[in-house]
Order: sequence, then structure tokens, then C-alpha cells
Amino acid sequence: MFSFVVRRLAVAIPTLLVLVIISFILMYSAPGGPFNSERPLPPEVLANIQAKYGLDQPFWRQIVNYVWGVVSSFDFGPSFQYKDRSVNDIIAQGFPVTLTYGFWSFVVAVSVGVSLGVAAAIRQNSWLDYLAVGISVGAQVLPNFVMAPILVLTFTLWLGWLPGGGWNGGQWQNLVMPVIALSTSYMASIARITRSSMLEVLNTNFIRTAKAKGLPMRRVIWRHAMKPTILPVLSYLGPAFVGMITGSVVIDVFFSTGGIGQFFVNSAFNRDYSVIMGITILVGALTILFNLVVDILYAWIDPKIRY
Amino acid sequence: MTLKSKLMATGAAFLIATGGMVYADGHATHPETGETLASDQTFTYRDLDESPSIDPGVAEDSAGGDIIRDLFEGLYNQDASGALIPGVALSHEVSEDGLIYTFTLRDNAKWSNGEPVTAADFEFGWKRAASPELASPYSWYIELTTVENAAAVIAGEMDPSELGITAINDTTLEIRLTQPLPYFPDMTTHYTLFPVPEATIAEFGDDWVKPGNMVSNGAYVLTEHVPQERLVRERNEMYWDNENTIIDKTVSLIIPDENVALTRFLAGELNRTDVPAGQFPRLAEQYPDDIMSVPNACSYYYTINLTDTTNPALLDGNVRQALSLAVNRDVIVENVLAGGQWPAYTFTHWATAGFETPETPIAAMDQAERDAKAKELMAEAGYGPDNPLSVNLIFNTSESHRSVAIAISQMWKQTLGVETELANQEWQTFLETRGNQDYEIARAGWCADYNEASTFLDLMDTNSGYNDAQYSNAEVDALLAAAKTSDNPQAAYTQVEQIISQDVPIIPIYHYAAAKMLDDAVEGWPYENFQQKWYSKDLYIVAE
Repeated sequence: MFSFVVRRLAVAIPTLLVLVIISFILMYSAPGGPFNSERPLPPEVLANIQAKYGLDQPFWRQIVNYVWGVVSSFDFGPSFQYKDRSVNDIIAQGFPVTLTYGFWSFVVAVSVGVSLGVAAAIRQNSWLDYLAVGISVGAQVLPNFVMAPILVLTFTLWLGWLPGGGWNGGQWQNLVMPVIALSTSYMASIARITRSSMLEVLNTNFIRTAKAKGLPMRRVIWRHAMKPTILPVLSYLGPAFVGMITGSVVIDVFFSTGGIGQFFVNSAFNRDYSVIMGITILVGALTILFNLVVDILYAWIDPKIRY
Repeated sequence: MTLKSKLMATGAAFLIATGGMVYADGHATHPETGETLASDQTFTYRDLDESPSIDPGVAEDSAGGDIIRDLFEGLYNQDASGALIPGVALSHEVSEDGLIYTFTLRDNAKWSNGEPVTAADFEFGWKRAASPELASPYSWYIELTTVENAAAVIAGEMDPSELGITAINDTTLEIRLTQPLPYFPDMTTHYTLFPVPEATIAEFGDDWVKPGNMVSNGAYVLTEHVPQERLVRERNEMYWDNENTIIDKTVSLIIPDENVALTRFLAGELNRTDVPAGQFPRLAEQYPDDIMSVPNACSYYYTINLTDTTNPALLDGNVRQALSLAVNRDVIVENVLAGGQWPAYTFTHWATAGFETPETPIAAMDQAERDAKAKELMAEAGYGPDNPLSVNLIFNTSESHRSVAIAISQMWKQTLGVETELANQEWQTFLETRGNQDYEIARAGWCADYNEASTFLDLMDTNSGYNDAQYSNAEVDALLAAAKTSDNPQAAYTQVEQIISQDVPIIPIYHYAAAKMLDDAVEGWPYENFQQKWYSKDLYIVAE
């Protein structure tokens, strides 16, 4: 296992490097630049700005300088758009916000999703099954950009219970709606995967044997059926977790949380190269990390898997 | 004096000392109007996006300008009507040749750390903003003031110390221009020309703009800033006019979606927000006390590529005139936009200070006459039902630009039989396409930098970097140059507008309006201020 982890981490470095280079090339090949605006800058002003940010250097040197800055001092450079901040500032401020609502969304999605899926499977074709399937289908077809305004209208305008947005240091009142809006579609997918996986497991021979031994149903489910049921869910949860904690532009736009999702999308529109790169590397690194975590959990849950 | 009369005298003295506010039922009243003030004087408003910077020397957008005008104060401020009123400067004198301005500064202006604001702070601020080292995207504004050596300093050919601004002593500031500029004092209300605290910048470097580090000289100080979420400024106890300031705290919240912002306004979380596109009529009916639409210093127009990369038909002046005539501006502003905008037949916004909208043939006709004339011109140019003209129109992705483009293409089709191919482009791609003259007709908008017609008309100069049509007319260039030094430039502006109305390098479509929802408890809003330069210190919230 240890050598597996070391091997995977060793592969992660060139993977990230390739990610950086491809992103850099794609970014520069998009038309426009970070300092274009409705009002084009006079050439001498533009020249000053480009010199300040090193954009007057040849392309290869910009990549080398960038990678060197990241590797040697973990410096992702200044933001070209938000001139009062560095990319490190932006990530340091926005990522904890995203991480907080992403984490709680994950907790809600997994706990509600798995419970619904299991309940539906063990009471297949009962009203509970239909209700659980109904909820998960409903949640799946209601995208968060529809969900978010409905929540704001209901809880802010009509009931007046919750603030319509903002972060306010992460108060629970500001967390409720982003968490509901972000978690519902993930919750629906988890419920469906859990249900079908559980149904499959319940029809296997070892479950029949367990039942034949006279074990109570609760024990059969928890002791024998749960672990194999969770395997396909787990492979979904790795990327889902990264998706949730690296920000959703819909959540950030509707609830004005100040999370990095909004910065990421704005940076693409504004050609804010350093912010695009910084967040791409962050998301890339987290994806690699959580895929590794999922693989390790796999081996832990399923003894048949050995690396 | 009896004890009772002594107490009364003390009470009266107290009332005078508190700026004339009297207290009744625990509420203060406004010193001039006598209105009862709300106990919570917090003004909260919506911003679309995080501003690129709140450093006066580096800032580049109008939302950032709203914040900076609260935090810093320049030589002059604008009042509710847009007229100049003293800021840090009390007055100024101009030399006979109009080239040397000498400002007298007040001696009681202070930074938020208690240090006095001096002429040297202005000198430092200007030189810093012009220096290539700071690389300010707004350094061109300093060049626009025609201050001595600005161009050479920005280009790095001269040291910033050579810039034509000198602090004669703490309260006297001299500025040397290269040409007389009658509207120069108006330009000093712009944030690029504000003072900045040298010692604080030296101590914190780029981080000086963060809460806790920032020292400012405006009516407010920065107390909280969470990018993409909120920015809070609170009263500056050191401000020279703090006694007459009523709003205690101003909060700008970043809410990218205008409909969410409207919901939050209706839920009472905001005092001001924008009216979402197309919702002005409905909101005006439902919330007549909370809605406002005032002139906003921008013009919306289509620019026509006049270079050899264009559609050759567009090089024919008759075709361009016909296209302009066939645009029914009334339908655009009343039915498509419905937000209080004004139809435009001139490039300069009608509400610009000192500008009288000139008579042009197109403005004098009604739409039926315009359509008839347009058909006639089109026929003269050789286009008609048998030989229809096809043009390409690009705009940047936006629902409202799309609606306008569709409406105009239909007008062209119905009146002139012109086939228009519409294409929307992502913002950066659009700017590049238009800037490289890789288009036939393109959407454009221009907002005034200062309240004078040249801020618009200078775009028609052959050498203007913003002349995307690449229009060139020696007569226009000469008129614009003459207007710069004239005491009464209106005649020149009238002629320029008449020439461009004839040549049609651009098709003016409408003059902007700022359509906002403003809580009716908020008073003191500068409705008459053309550039919508508002200062929190001039607002107050009345008790409801």
C-alpha cells in the first residue's frame, strides 16, 4: 500500500505539470487579454502594465517563471484583474468559504442520499421506495440555478427567515440555503446509486446465506450488505467531493458567498491568467488527492482489492 | 442666572455643539430639513462585481469610484447637481494664460491617523499615479488633464518628479498645464487625482489598501473588505466635516445576479439596487416611491467600420445615413429597453454640462419621414428589393444587446430590405474583433470621464485610440482642436455633431439612464448629478 501511495504521488507531479502547460497554452490562445476593455489602453500605458506583470517576456519564459514561482516560493503571482490582491490572497480568502459550504453539502448529500437509497432498496416497490425515488428524481431534475432563486424567494422574501445571501463570516443562517442548493442534485445521484447497488447486493448468494442463517435483517444490512453497496457510491464521491469543495459558480453568484467559484469564472472572462492558473492547479491537485483517497478507501473496504 | 436657566443654556449649547440636531423620542432630526432620522444610519447597496482596485491611483471602474469618493477626498467634490464644491481645496486661481492653477487647501483636513492632509500628499498621489512603476491603467487620465510632462513621465522618458505639480507649501498647490483647459477643475473630482498617504504606502506596500492598514482622508474609513462579498466603510472621526455627516456606515454587497439583488432589496436587506433589464415599467407601477431613472453619462451606439476590411457598401455615405435613419429610436427606448433611456441623434449625451443638443436633419424629422428618406438614399446607392444589402452586426453577449440588435435588424429589414447577420461574441473576443476592425457594424458604448462634451466627441478625432470606426475628417479634427482652447466651444461641438450626423461613422441609438431602486427612506440622493457621483456623507435615512 505504501509503495502504491508513493507511486501515485510521484505520478501526480508530472500530471500537474502537464495540466499547467496545457492550461497555459489554452489560456493564451483565447482571444483578448487581461487588459483589454471597452476603452483600449494607450500603448505606453499598456506597455507599463505588461512590463509590471511580466507579460512582455517571451511565452516560454513566462511559463518557466510561473512554474518556478509556484515551486520555489508557492507564489501564484498577482491577480491581473483584482489589482489589490495576489492569487494567494484570493485563494486564502475564497477557498475556506467554499470548503465550508462544500463540506456541509457533502455531509448532507451523503447522509440523506445513502439513507434514502438504502430505505428505498430494502422496501422495494413500497410507498417508501416510490417516495425516495420521487424525491431523488425531483432533486435531480431541479438544477441548482433553479433551486437557488426558489429558496431565496421562499426563505428570504416570503418567510423572512434567512438572509438572501452574503457570507457574514460563515454564520449558520448564511449557510443553510447554499448547502441545500448545492447538495440536492448530489444527494439525488447518491440515492439512486445506493438504491441500485443495494438491490444488486441483496440478491447475491452471500446475503441469501446470511438470511438463511437466521440473522436479523438489520444485521444483514449493516454487517454484510452495506460495505459492498458503498463501493460504487465511493467512486462517485471522490470527484463529487472535489466538485463541492472547489466551488460552484451558481452558488457563489446567487448567494454572494465570496467563494472561489465566482473568482474562477470571472478570471476566465477577464483573462486573469494568474487566477485561472492558481485555481486550476488547486482543483487539479485536489482531484488527484481525492482520487487517491478513494482508491485507498476501496482497498480498505474491499479486501479483494490489493495494490 | 438660576439653576434652571443654567441647565437650559447648557442644553442649548449642547444642541449647537451636536450640529443642530435635536433629539425627540430618542431620534435625531436633520439639522436643515427637520426630518426625523432613523436610529440606524447604515446605507447598504448592491454592486455587480468586485472592483479591480480601491487604490485611487490604480482604480479603473465607476463602482470603485463610489467607494473611493467615500474613503478619500480630492481637491473638489461635486454637489447634488454636479456643481463643484470645496473638498480639500477651498479655492483656486488661474494665471492669465490659463496654464497655471494655484489651489488653496484647507488647513483642517486630516488623514484618518490624525496627520494633516497637505499639498505634498496631492503631489505624491499624482506623481505616483503617473509613474510607469505603478503601471496604473488610468494613468492616461493624468495625460488628459494636459499637466506638464505627463506623457513623457508615463512613457518612462522622464522621471515622475518632472510632472507639472508642485506643493508650494502645506496649503498651496501649483499645477502647470500645457494648454488652457476650462474644465480642468471639474476633472479634479476624479479619483486618479486624489491624494494618497505616502508613509502608509511605504510601510505596507501593495497591502496598504487592506482594512487596518489603510489611512484615508475622506468622510469614511475602510473597516471590512471581503472580496466578492462585501466592503464596509464607517465614519472617519478625523474628517473635517464629520460633524455634518449623518450616515454612520456604508456597506456595498457584491450580488452578481440582478434579480437576486432585487429580491433582497424587496426583503429589506438593501437600500439601493439596479432595476433588472425590462422590469422598469412593472416596478414603477408597483413601487412608485422606490424607483428612479435619471440621466447617466453614457451613450449607446453602433460603430461602422470605415477601413478597407469592411463591407464595401458601408463606405457609401448614403447607405450609412439610410441605416441610421431607419432605426426607430423611440421603439428601442420605449418598447425594447423601457428603462427611461432617451433616443439619441447625437453622440454627446443631451444632459452633458454646457452642451446644447444641435439641430440635425434626422432629429427634426418624424419616423415616417426618416423611413422615406432612408429608402430614397438606399435606392440612390443602388440597393433595393432586387439587390438587397447584406450586413454583419456584432455585439457582446448580453440579453439587452441582443434585444436591441434584433429590433434594429428587423427595422432595417422592414424599411430597407437589408439582411442583417447577427453575431454575439464573448466580451474579450468581441473587443479584439472590434479593435482590429475585423467587423462591419459593431455595438459600442461610451461613458463620460468628465462632464464636458469633448469626453464624447474626442472619439471622432482621427488619432483617437477609441475611434473603432477609423473615421477621419480633417474638419472635425480641426474643430475639436480649436474647442480645447476656446472659452465657448459649443459652436465647434454643434458643427462636429452635424458633420458626424451627415457622415455617419457611428449610429447613435440611445442615451443611458440609471434606473435604480432606492429605498424611499434614503434622502439626499444627487438625482441631478449627471455622472451620478454620490457621496455617502450627503445621504441620510429618515425614520419610517
